[in-house]
Amino acid sequence: MTSLELTLLFPILGIFLILTMPDWQGTKIKTIALITTLLTFLTSLFLWLEFDSSTAFFQLTSDYNSLLENYFSFSTLNLSLGIDGISLFFIILTTLLTPICILVSWDNIQNYVKEYCIAFLVLEVFMLAVFSVTDLLLFYIFFESVLIPMFIIIGVWGSRERKIRAAYQFFLYTLFGSVLMLLALLLIYFQTGSLDLEILYATEWSESRQILLWLAFFASFAVKVPMVPVHIWLPEAHVEAPTAGSVILAGILLKLGTYGFLRFSLPMFPYASLYFTPLIYTMSIIAIIYTSCTTLRQIDLKKIIAYSSVAHMNFVTLGIFSQNIQGIEGSILLMISHGLISPALFLCVGVLYDRYKTRILRYYSGCGRTMPIFALFFVFFTMSNISLPGTSSFPGEFLILTGVYLNNTIATILAATGMVLGAGYALWLCNRLIYGVFKPEFIYLYSDLNRREFMMFIPLIIPILWIGINPEAFIDTIHASCIHLVYQGY
Amino acid sequence: TSYLFDNDFLTIIPEMYLVSMGLFLLLFGCVYSTSSKLNYPLLSTNIGWFTLLSFFYTFLLIQLNPINNATVLYNTLIIDDFTQFIKICTLLASIFSLLISLKYIKNENYNAFESMILILFSTASMLFCISSSDFISMYLAVELQSLCFYVLAAFKRNSEFSTESGLKYFILGAFSSGFLLFGCSLIYAFTGTLNFAECAKLFAFTGQLDSIGTNYTLDILTLSLPKLGMIFLLVGFLFKIAAAPFHMWSPDVYEGAPTPVTAFFVITPKLTYFAVFLRIFYQCFYDLFDIWQMVLILASLASMIVGAIGGLSQTKIKRLVAFSSIGHVGYLLIGFACGSIEGIHSLCLYLIIYIFMNIAMFGILLSGLLPADNKLPNMKYITDLAYLGKTNPILAITLAITLFSMAGIPPLAGFYSKAYLFFAALSNDLGLLAIIGVLTSVCSCFYYIRLIRIMYFTTPKNWYSTTRVSKTNAIALALSLYILVFFMFYPSPLFLLTHKATLALCL
Repeated sequence: MTSLELTLLFPILGIFLILTMPDWQGTKIKTIALITTLLTFLTSLFLWLEFDSSTAFFQLTSDYNSLLENYFSFSTLNLSLGIDGISLFFIILTTLLTPICILVSWDNIQNYVKEYCIAFLVLEVFMLAVFSVTDLLLFYIFFESVLIPMFIIIGVWGSRERKIRAAYQFFLYTLFGSVLMLLALLLIYFQTGSLDLEILYATEWSESRQILLWLAFFASFAVKVPMVPVHIWLPEAHVEAPTAGSVILAGILLKLGTYGFLRFSLPMFPYASLYFTPLIYTMSIIAIIYTSCTTLRQIDLKKIIAYSSVAHMNFVTLGIFSQNIQGIEGSILLMISHGLISPALFLCVGVLYDRYKTRILRYYSGCGRTMPIFALFFVFFTMSNISLPGTSSFPGEFLILTGVYLNNTIATILAATGMVLGAGYALWLCNRLIYGVFKPEFIYLYSDLNRREFMMFIPLIIPILWIGINPEAFIDTIHASCIHLVYQGY
Repeated sequence: TSYLFDNDFLTIIPEMYLVSMGLFLLLFGCVYSTSSKLNYPLLSTNIGWFTLLSFFYTFLLIQLNPINNATVLYNTLIIDDFTQFIKICTLLASIFSLLISLKYIKNENYNAFESMILILFSTASMLFCISSSDFISMYLAVELQSLCFYVLAAFKRNSEFSTESGLKYFILGAFSSGFLLFGCSLIYAFTGTLNFAECAKLFAFTGQLDSIGTNYTLDILTLSLPKLGMIFLLVGFLFKIAAAPFHMWSPDVYEGAPTPVTAFFVITPKLTYFAVFLRIFYQCFYDLFDIWQMVLILASLASMIVGAIGGLSQTKIKRLVAFSSIGHVGYLLIGFACGSIEGIHSLCLYLIIYIFMNIAMFGILLSGLLPADNKLPNMKYITDLAYLGKTNPILAITLAITLFSMAGIPPLAGFYSKAYLFFAALSNDLGLLAIIGVLTSVCSCFYYIRLIRIMYFTTPKNWYSTTRVSKTNAIALALSLYILVFFMFYPSPLFLLTHKATLALCL
């Protein structure tokens, strides 16, 4: 049993354990969920220990095909797991964020606790599976399965009446994108007779078919990333989701699209990727500038962070499609870093929301006075968000800009304005939230972070600083896979 | 000593058993329901259980029948792996649709045990229909089945809706049967035979007449009339399965008929029609493939679009189900139009999963949604589902999973069946159908999710408190839910069974 299988197994065990518990034992259920997710996190750290960074092949593979040969003789399911440098850190990120999700909702989720914990564990299983399967059909299945628990999480535990609309938008946008991918997938299967990644990587596609398939994949991934014309679902879904839902949305689900680009679009359709690079560049730059400017005029705290997520994720796509090692490594680093910082900011908003039950920014001015520790954390995460050197975003964005600069100077210049604008909105947000005129008629609670809230920020701060100060540890691990990815295109 | 046709009657023992059970139960019901000594008992559930039992024994008889490949009774009936498989599925569907209805029938105090016997006879006729191998036995079986259905739709005499729906169903059903019959007569008039296999021999290679340039027995001029007959058959078939240009009766009939009957209409007869028409078109008219494929593609497109758009604005549950089933028929017709083994295979797979999804759907409509207070009217509107998430969370999650599966969200069973259909379509150059299918399935997601939204997220002014789910319904629901959720872990038995059936039909 490899540690990858163990990682997948623990949350499943947790689900079955919680299923047998009676409804009224809320605290016990949460404790069990927390313990299982922590165990999952620990086992996932072993993945990193066992990981051999000198090779680009899939590692820790387990293949159930011989076992299930007669089960699946007619379907095309290829139940094989494996990770490489591209997926390793996403798995660890997933397992890191899930216990935080349980922790953040310790007090504020009072109804349907059992279902809540199960939904999150199911979500964790699906996300881990997305990153660790090496079969396109299974990837698709888990990619889309995420919709069901997420739809329920937004719809049931969301905060306002508008949540229904948000859940709808989330569901239908994503579904619409991904069914086009399903058609592409069936077409691929029709041509190759297999959906195993190793085989697909070795397949040659005609140029016109590459373009068709790339577009179909793009329809799905662009919604998830989100690229600009199809990004509307994201602020809605973020604003209406419960805090833990936003954490997962920003931390992992946004990464699914970019991960898909890295895993499928680049290595499988190199010609089409090159062909569409100008499109991606244009869309990404528009997104970076547009969403950064949009962020300036938002008054909902969560919307501000959601739009800044859009800007960062489009930075990532820019890096991916620069198609050189610097760009790709930078984009992976930025994904990880964004997966830490953006959830942390959502947690901050959650902390505020738990106290005052509002997310409108203007009520909060001067809240640093009553919550100094919170202010410390918030300023730290905001600084990381604008990629201050020393925090994790800096090496990522720096590498991305370097990578893009090797291809296209104008794109680099335009993208770099995004950094300025990002600093603009983030600092202004910080200014309006923490500092400013103290409003005692609104800010009347003098309760700073409690121990639980403090503990859920710590695991996010450590890796942010670690990546910021010593990015080599991470880059070395993913280096071989990235080189392999880049040279697959030639 | 054994004679040549000794085994003929052995092969139809299941059907004979079922029919004789029907006669026996009719006698039983007539005698006891009019007995003053017993104070005129209501026998519907009693006879319902007997019917169920006889279905079960028929199921065993078919399953254990040693003869699985024969043409019997002067070539009117054919038995092969395909018919056996479809018959077994039909019986299972009948068993389940009865199982989920019994509690409802008891609650409603229907004083009509004949309805059970009509269900029994219609199932028997379906069994005959599935294994029919000439036009006349096909038509007779279809008619017997339809006659039972007309009566069933109208059997709630004191309800205006029910009688109206019965009338509508009768008129349109008779009309479509007329189409069928006219098609059969045209074919008989110009071929002189009614047997599928013989027709197939006559039509062999006619499709390629021009390209080969050889003179066959039938030339183009005389062929145009059997072609017309085929089109009439096709129209009759599309009427019967409620495919889109001929679907107008189905929402009214489904809505008006009593809910157990609607369940039976939705769950069972599609299998039969698809089975017999697959045989006709793939055996008899396969050489005229180009013509009927065109019609089926159009019907499939229309059904998918009507199903997706029409369902959007519905407010009544049963009408919504009707439109959803029109949409599903559209998907099924994709498989029919493929003209390949994969197509039929995916169609069979889709049919089975469709049946289980509808069993779950109607299991909930028939059981959980009976109002606890007898004075309240039954559930009718979609908004009546509101608060199901609170009042009966397990039932609500069952319905939600069923709806997600109907919408084709992975990893539920509905996804696999749809994906396999689209794959078959793509590999047979029907990419357009696959694209439209995918788009309409997103559209139909709107109304499936609307139900989920109403169950979980909305807070209504008043809500239904529902009765306990009966044991039989619970079993049916649990089983179908289990199949929908865990299909992905072990799909091969169903794949293998349907593949075997498909091969028996095609080879």
